[in-house]
Amino acid sequence: MEIKVKILRFNPETDKRPHYQTFRVEAEPTDRVLDLLEKIKGYQDGSLAFRRSCAHGICGSDAMRINGMNRLACKTLVKDLSKGTITVEPLLGLSLIKDLIVDMDPFFEHYESVMPYLVNDEPPPLKERLQSPEERERFDDTTKCILCAACTTSCPSFWSNGRYVGPAAIVNAHRFIFDSRDRAGAERLRILSDQFGVYRCHTIFNCTLACPREIQITKAIGEIKRAIATGSLD
Amino acid sequence: MAAKFQTWWQGLRYRGGGTMVAWLLHRIGGLAMVIFVGMHVFASFLTQQFGSGFGTTLNIIYQSPYFQAPLYFFVIFHALNGFRIILLDTFPKLLEYQREVTWLQWMVFIPLYGLVVFFIIAGIVSGE
Repeated sequence: MEIKVKILRFNPETDKRPHYQTFRVEAEPTDRVLDLLEKIKGYQDGSLAFRRSCAHGICGSDAMRINGMNRLACKTLVKDLSKGTITVEPLLGLSLIKDLIVDMDPFFEHYESVMPYLVNDEPPPLKERLQSPEERERFDDTTKCILCAACTTSCPSFWSNGRYVGPAAIVNAHRFIFDSRDRAGAERLRILSDQFGVYRCHTIFNCTLACPREIQITKAIGEIKRAIATGSLD
Repeated sequence: MAAKFQTWWQGLRYRGGGTMVAWLLHRIGGLAMVIFVGMHVFASFLTQQFGSGFGTTLNIIYQSPYFQAPLYFFVIFHALNGFRIILLDTFPKLLEYQREVTWLQWMVFIPLYGLVVFFIIAGIVSGE
Protein backbone atom coordinates (compact mmCIF):
# COMPACT_ATOMS: atom_id res chain seq x y z
CA MET A 1 0.00 0.00 0.00
CA GLU A 2 1.04 3.59 -0.54
CA ILE A 3 1.42 5.81 2.49
CA LYS A 4 1.88 9.55 2.79
CA VAL A 5 4.61 10.53 5.24
CA LYS A 6 4.58 14.19 6.26
CA ILE A 7 7.90 15.21 7.81
CA LEU A 8 8.86 18.47 9.50
CA ARG A 9 12.05 19.49 7.67
CA PHE A 10 14.65 22.05 8.69
CA ASN A 11 17.99 22.76 7.09
CA PRO A 12 19.86 25.41 9.13
CA GLU A 13 21.90 26.40 6.04
CA THR A 14 18.91 27.25 3.84
CA ASP A 15 15.74 27.50 5.98
CA LYS A 16 14.68 30.27 8.34
CA ARG A 17 11.92 28.14 9.84
CA PRO A 18 10.95 24.45 9.73
CA HIS A 19 8.44 23.41 7.05
CA TYR A 20 6.54 20.25 6.21
CA GLN A 21 7.37 18.03 3.25
CA THR A 22 5.21 15.08 2.21
CA PHE A 23 6.59 11.88 0.68
CA ARG A 24 4.70 8.94 -0.83
CA VAL A 25 6.13 5.57 0.18
CA GLU A 26 5.21 1.97 -0.61
CA ALA A 27 4.87 0.15 2.71
CA GLU A 28 3.58 -3.01 4.35
CA PRO A 29 1.33 -2.74 7.43
CA THR A 30 4.07 -4.49 9.40
CA ASP A 31 6.72 -1.94 8.40
CA ARG A 32 8.05 0.31 11.13
CA VAL A 33 8.10 4.10 10.83
CA LEU A 34 11.90 3.79 10.84
CA ASP A 35 11.62 1.62 7.68
CA LEU A 36 9.64 4.40 5.99
CA LEU A 37 12.25 6.98 6.93
CA GLU A 38 15.02 4.69 5.62
CA LYS A 39 13.13 4.27 2.31
CA ILE A 40 12.72 8.03 1.95
CA LYS A 41 16.38 8.67 2.74
CA GLY A 42 17.57 5.82 0.53
CA TYR A 43 15.40 6.33 -2.56
CA GLN A 44 13.84 9.81 -2.50
CA ASP A 45 15.81 12.37 -0.52
CA GLY A 46 19.25 11.55 0.83
CA SER A 47 19.40 14.84 2.72
CA LEU A 48 16.76 13.72 5.25
CA ALA A 49 18.43 13.67 8.68
CA PHE A 50 17.40 11.50 11.62
CA ARG A 51 19.13 9.50 14.35
CA ARG A 52 19.02 5.71 14.43
CA SER A 53 21.34 3.03 15.68
CA CYS A 54 20.24 -0.42 16.86
CA ALA A 55 16.74 -0.19 15.32
CA HIS A 56 15.46 -2.63 17.94
CA GLY A 57 14.13 -0.37 20.69
CA ILE A 58 17.22 -0.54 22.90
CA CYS A 59 19.57 2.30 21.98
CA GLY A 60 16.92 5.04 22.28
CA SER A 61 18.28 7.03 19.31
CA ASP A 62 15.16 7.40 17.20
CA ALA A 63 12.64 8.98 19.56
CA MET A 64 10.47 11.45 17.65
CA ARG A 65 6.91 12.76 17.51
CA ILE A 66 4.88 10.36 15.39
CA ASN A 67 1.28 11.42 14.77
CA GLY A 68 1.59 13.97 17.56
CA MET A 69 3.01 11.72 20.27
CA ASN A 70 6.55 10.80 21.29
CA ARG A 71 7.47 7.27 20.22
CA LEU A 72 10.46 5.27 18.98
CA ALA A 73 10.37 5.06 15.17
CA CYS A 74 11.80 1.52 15.37
CA LYS A 75 8.99 0.29 17.66
CA THR A 76 6.05 1.92 15.89
CA LEU A 77 4.34 -0.17 13.22
CA VAL A 78 2.41 1.38 10.33
CA LYS A 79 -0.65 -0.77 11.13
CA ASP A 80 -0.82 0.65 14.66
CA LEU A 81 -1.15 4.22 13.41
CA SER A 82 -4.38 5.80 12.21
CA LYS A 83 -5.09 5.45 8.48
CA GLY A 84 -3.99 8.22 6.12
CA THR A 85 -0.99 10.44 6.51
CA ILE A 86 1.72 9.68 9.06
CA THR A 87 3.18 12.87 10.52
CA VAL A 88 6.73 12.77 11.81
CA GLU A 89 8.18 15.71 13.77
CA PRO A 90 11.23 16.25 16.00
CA LEU A 91 10.99 16.12 19.81
CA LEU A 92 9.71 19.25 21.53
CA GLY A 93 11.60 21.28 24.12
CA LEU A 94 15.08 20.77 22.65
CA SER A 95 16.81 22.87 20.00
CA LEU A 96 16.52 21.69 16.42
CA ILE A 97 19.78 20.85 14.65
CA LYS A 98 18.48 19.44 11.37
CA ASP A 99 15.20 17.78 10.30
CA LEU A 100 14.41 15.23 13.04
CA ILE A 101 17.68 15.69 14.95
CA VAL A 102 17.56 17.70 18.16
CA ASP A 103 20.33 18.88 20.46
CA MET A 104 20.45 16.28 23.26
CA ASP A 105 23.14 18.10 25.32
CA PRO A 106 20.71 19.76 27.80
CA PHE A 107 19.00 16.40 28.29
CA PHE A 108 22.27 14.64 29.18
CA GLU A 109 23.39 17.55 31.39
CA HIS A 110 20.24 17.04 33.49
CA TYR A 111 20.90 13.30 33.51
CA GLU A 112 24.45 13.80 34.79
CA SER A 113 23.26 16.28 37.45
CA VAL A 114 21.52 13.53 39.47
CA MET A 115 24.67 11.37 39.80
CA PRO A 116 23.38 8.38 37.82
CA TYR A 117 25.97 5.91 39.13
CA LEU A 118 26.45 3.75 42.23
CA VAL A 119 28.13 5.60 45.11
CA ASN A 120 29.47 3.45 47.91
CA ASP A 121 32.82 4.20 49.60
CA GLU A 122 32.52 1.37 52.11
CA PRO A 123 35.18 -1.37 51.71
CA PRO A 124 33.78 -4.01 49.35
CA PRO A 125 33.07 -7.48 50.78
CA LEU A 126 35.10 -10.50 49.63
CA LYS A 127 32.49 -11.38 47.00
CA GLU A 128 29.75 -9.09 45.68
CA ARG A 129 27.62 -6.52 47.55
CA LEU A 130 24.63 -8.73 48.30
CA GLN A 131 21.07 -7.66 47.67
CA SER A 132 17.86 -9.60 48.27
CA PRO A 133 15.34 -10.12 45.44
CA GLU A 134 12.93 -7.84 47.33
CA GLU A 135 15.53 -5.07 47.55
CA ARG A 136 16.25 -5.44 43.82
CA GLU A 137 12.54 -5.40 43.01
CA ARG A 138 12.23 -1.98 44.69
CA PHE A 139 13.92 -0.19 41.77
CA ASP A 140 13.52 -2.78 39.00
CA ASP A 141 11.14 -0.66 36.90
CA THR A 142 13.48 2.32 36.64
CA THR A 143 16.45 0.19 35.49
CA LYS A 144 14.71 -0.18 32.11
CA CYS A 145 15.35 3.42 30.97
CA ILE A 146 17.14 3.70 27.61
CA LEU A 147 17.61 7.51 27.73
CA CYS A 148 15.62 8.13 24.55
CA ALA A 149 14.23 11.44 25.96
CA ALA A 150 10.67 10.57 24.90
CA CYS A 151 9.46 11.25 28.46
CA THR A 152 11.32 14.49 29.15
CA THR A 153 10.34 16.03 25.81
CA SER A 154 6.66 15.09 26.29
CA CYS A 155 6.48 17.07 29.54
CA PRO A 156 4.79 20.52 29.41
CA SER A 157 6.81 21.58 32.48
CA PHE A 158 10.02 20.89 30.52
CA TRP A 159 8.68 22.68 27.42
CA SER A 160 8.02 25.80 29.48
CA ASN A 161 11.32 25.72 31.38
CA GLY A 162 14.31 23.77 30.10
CA ARG A 163 16.03 24.04 33.49
CA TYR A 164 13.62 21.45 34.93
CA VAL A 165 15.65 18.23 35.31
CA GLY A 166 12.87 16.29 33.62
CA PRO A 167 11.36 12.82 34.04
CA ALA A 168 14.31 10.85 32.59
CA ALA A 169 16.82 12.30 35.06
CA ILE A 170 14.40 11.65 37.94
CA VAL A 171 13.86 8.06 36.79
CA ASN A 172 17.61 7.48 36.77
CA ALA A 173 17.96 9.10 40.19
CA HIS A 174 15.18 6.78 41.45
CA ARG A 175 17.14 3.79 40.15
CA PHE A 176 19.98 4.59 42.61
CA ILE A 177 18.08 6.29 45.46
CA PHE A 178 16.15 3.08 46.13
CA ASP A 179 19.16 0.78 45.57
CA SER A 180 20.06 -0.73 48.96
CA ARG A 181 23.77 -0.75 48.01
CA ASP A 182 23.96 2.96 47.24
CA ARG A 183 24.96 5.58 49.84
CA ALA A 184 24.28 8.86 48.03
CA GLY A 185 20.47 8.81 48.19
CA ALA A 186 20.30 11.81 50.52
CA GLU A 187 22.50 13.87 48.17
CA ARG A 188 20.30 12.98 45.19
CA LEU A 189 17.15 13.86 47.13
CA ARG A 190 18.74 17.22 47.98
CA ILE A 191 19.42 17.85 44.28
CA LEU A 192 15.87 16.88 43.33
CA SER A 193 14.24 19.05 46.00
CA ASP A 194 15.69 22.09 44.21
CA GLN A 195 13.22 24.50 42.56
CA PHE A 196 13.91 22.80 39.21
CA GLY A 197 13.59 19.33 40.70
CA VAL A 198 10.65 17.00 41.28
CA TYR A 199 8.19 19.71 42.30
CA ARG A 200 8.07 20.97 38.71
CA CYS A 201 6.15 17.75 37.98
CA HIS A 202 2.41 18.48 37.85
CA THR A 203 1.32 14.83 37.51
CA ILE A 204 0.31 15.26 33.86
CA PHE A 205 1.30 11.66 32.92
CA ASN A 206 2.55 12.49 29.41
CA CYS A 207 5.90 10.91 30.37
CA THR A 208 4.33 7.61 31.45
CA LEU A 209 2.27 7.42 28.25
CA ALA A 210 5.27 8.26 26.04
CA CYS A 211 7.78 5.83 27.59
CA PRO A 212 8.58 3.08 25.04
CA ARG A 213 9.77 0.86 27.92
CA GLU A 214 6.48 1.29 29.81
CA ILE A 215 8.21 2.56 32.94
CA GLN A 216 5.78 3.93 35.55
CA ILE A 217 7.58 7.29 35.46
CA THR A 218 4.99 9.39 37.29
CA LYS A 219 4.93 6.77 40.05
CA ALA A 220 8.74 6.95 40.36
CA ILE A 221 8.52 10.76 40.58
CA GLY A 222 5.74 10.43 43.17
CA GLU A 223 7.88 8.09 45.28
CA ILE A 224 10.73 10.61 45.23
CA LYS A 225 8.38 13.47 46.16
CA ARG A 226 7.18 11.38 49.08
CA ALA A 227 10.74 10.47 50.12
CA ILE A 228 11.67 14.17 50.16
CA ALA A 229 8.55 15.10 52.11
CA THR A 230 8.80 12.32 54.71
CA GLY A 231 12.59 11.85 54.81
CA SER A 232 12.03 8.11 54.50
CA LEU A 233 12.58 5.68 51.61
CA ASP A 234 9.91 3.24 52.86
CA MET B 1 23.41 26.04 14.40
CA ALA B 2 20.74 24.56 16.65
CA ALA B 3 17.67 26.73 17.25
CA LYS B 4 14.45 26.35 19.20
CA PHE B 5 11.25 26.54 17.17
CA GLN B 6 8.64 25.93 19.80
CA THR B 7 5.19 27.42 19.97
CA TRP B 8 2.21 27.15 22.30
CA TRP B 9 0.29 25.61 19.42
CA GLN B 10 2.80 22.75 19.07
CA GLY B 11 2.48 22.01 22.77
CA LEU B 12 -1.33 22.05 22.63
CA ARG B 13 -1.24 19.70 19.62
CA TYR B 14 0.72 17.09 21.57
CA ARG B 15 -1.48 14.02 22.02
CA GLY B 16 -1.05 13.48 25.74
CA GLY B 17 -4.50 11.98 26.32
CA GLY B 18 -7.12 12.58 29.02
CA THR B 19 -4.70 13.46 31.80
CA MET B 20 -3.14 16.25 29.73
CA VAL B 21 -6.64 17.63 29.01
CA ALA B 22 -7.34 17.47 32.77
CA TRP B 23 -4.14 19.42 33.45
CA LEU B 24 -5.09 22.06 30.85
CA LEU B 25 -8.63 22.40 32.27
CA HIS B 26 -7.12 22.68 35.75
CA ARG B 27 -4.94 25.61 34.63
CA ILE B 28 -7.79 27.33 32.76
CA GLY B 29 -10.00 26.78 35.84
CA GLY B 30 -7.44 28.49 38.05
CA LEU B 31 -7.38 31.51 35.73
CA ALA B 32 -11.21 31.58 35.55
CA MET B 33 -11.39 31.76 39.35
CA VAL B 34 -8.83 34.56 39.49
CA ILE B 35 -10.91 36.52 36.95
CA PHE B 36 -14.14 35.85 38.89
CA VAL B 37 -12.73 36.83 42.29
CA GLY B 38 -11.04 39.87 40.71
CA MET B 39 -14.32 40.99 39.11
CA HIS B 40 -16.19 40.39 42.36
CA VAL B 41 -13.80 42.48 44.47
CA PHE B 42 -13.61 45.22 41.82
CA ALA B 43 -17.39 45.39 41.38
CA SER B 44 -18.01 45.49 45.15
CA PHE B 45 -15.41 48.24 45.55
CA LEU B 46 -16.95 50.39 42.79
CA THR B 47 -20.51 49.88 44.05
CA GLN B 48 -19.77 50.53 47.74
CA GLN B 49 -17.36 53.44 47.33
CA PHE B 50 -18.86 55.31 44.41
CA GLY B 51 -22.30 53.76 43.87
CA SER B 52 -21.02 53.21 40.36
CA GLY B 53 -23.24 51.88 37.61
CA PHE B 54 -20.20 50.08 36.16
CA GLY B 55 -19.96 47.97 39.36
CA THR B 56 -23.64 47.02 38.97
CA THR B 57 -22.99 46.07 35.32
CA LEU B 58 -20.11 43.78 36.39
CA ASN B 59 -22.42 42.19 38.99
CA ILE B 60 -25.04 41.53 36.32
CA ILE B 61 -22.39 39.92 34.06
CA TYR B 62 -21.01 37.48 36.61
CA GLN B 63 -24.43 36.65 37.99
CA SER B 64 -25.74 35.75 34.52
CA PRO B 65 -26.19 32.02 33.78
CA TYR B 66 -23.86 32.32 30.75
CA PHE B 67 -21.03 33.33 33.08
CA GLN B 68 -22.06 31.11 35.99
CA ALA B 69 -22.34 27.86 33.95
CA PRO B 70 -18.70 27.77 32.73
CA LEU B 71 -17.51 29.18 36.05
CA TYR B 72 -19.14 26.35 38.02
CA PHE B 73 -17.66 23.90 35.49
CA PHE B 74 -14.14 25.17 36.12
CA VAL B 75 -14.53 25.56 39.90
CA ILE B 76 -15.89 22.04 40.41
CA PHE B 77 -13.40 20.52 37.97
CA HIS B 78 -10.49 22.41 39.55
CA ALA B 79 -11.48 21.23 43.04
CA LEU B 80 -11.94 17.57 42.06
CA ASN B 81 -8.82 17.46 39.89
CA GLY B 82 -6.79 19.11 42.66
CA PHE B 83 -8.10 16.48 45.08
CA ARG B 84 -7.08 13.71 42.64
CA ILE B 85 -3.55 15.13 42.34
CA ILE B 86 -3.19 15.51 46.14
CA LEU B 87 -4.40 11.93 46.58
CA LEU B 88 -1.93 10.58 43.98
CA ASP B 89 0.97 12.64 45.34
CA THR B 90 0.26 11.50 48.90
CA PHE B 91 -0.11 7.83 48.00
CA PRO B 92 2.24 7.14 45.02
CA LYS B 93 1.08 3.52 44.91
CA LEU B 94 -2.24 4.79 43.56
CA LEU B 95 -0.38 6.20 40.53
CA GLU B 96 -0.53 2.72 39.01
CA TYR B 97 -4.31 3.14 38.93
CA GLN B 98 -4.30 6.71 37.64
CA ARG B 99 -6.58 5.80 34.73
CA GLU B 100 -9.21 4.44 37.12
CA VAL B 101 -8.82 7.43 39.45
CA THR B 102 -9.31 9.78 36.49
CA TRP B 103 -12.52 7.96 35.47
CA LEU B 104 -13.70 8.14 39.10
CA GLN B 105 -13.11 11.89 39.02
CA TRP B 106 -15.33 12.24 35.93
CA MET B 107 -17.95 9.97 37.52
CA VAL B 108 -18.19 12.35 40.48
CA PHE B 109 -17.93 15.47 38.32
CA ILE B 110 -20.66 14.70 35.76
CA PRO B 111 -23.63 14.26 38.18
CA LEU B 112 -22.39 17.13 40.36
CA TYR B 113 -22.12 19.54 37.43
CA GLY B 114 -25.35 18.13 35.99
CA LEU B 115 -27.09 19.18 39.19
CA VAL B 116 -25.65 22.69 38.90
CA VAL B 117 -26.79 22.95 35.27
CA PHE B 118 -30.25 21.73 36.32
CA PHE B 119 -30.56 24.51 38.90
CA ILE B 120 -29.26 27.13 36.45
CA ILE B 121 -31.78 26.05 33.79
CA ALA B 122 -34.55 25.88 36.42
CA GLY B 123 -33.65 29.44 37.39
CA ILE B 124 -33.87 30.60 33.77
CA VAL B 125 -37.20 28.83 33.20
CA SER B 126 -38.76 30.21 36.40
CA GLY B 127 -37.44 33.67 35.51
CA GLU B 128 -35.58 34.18 38.81
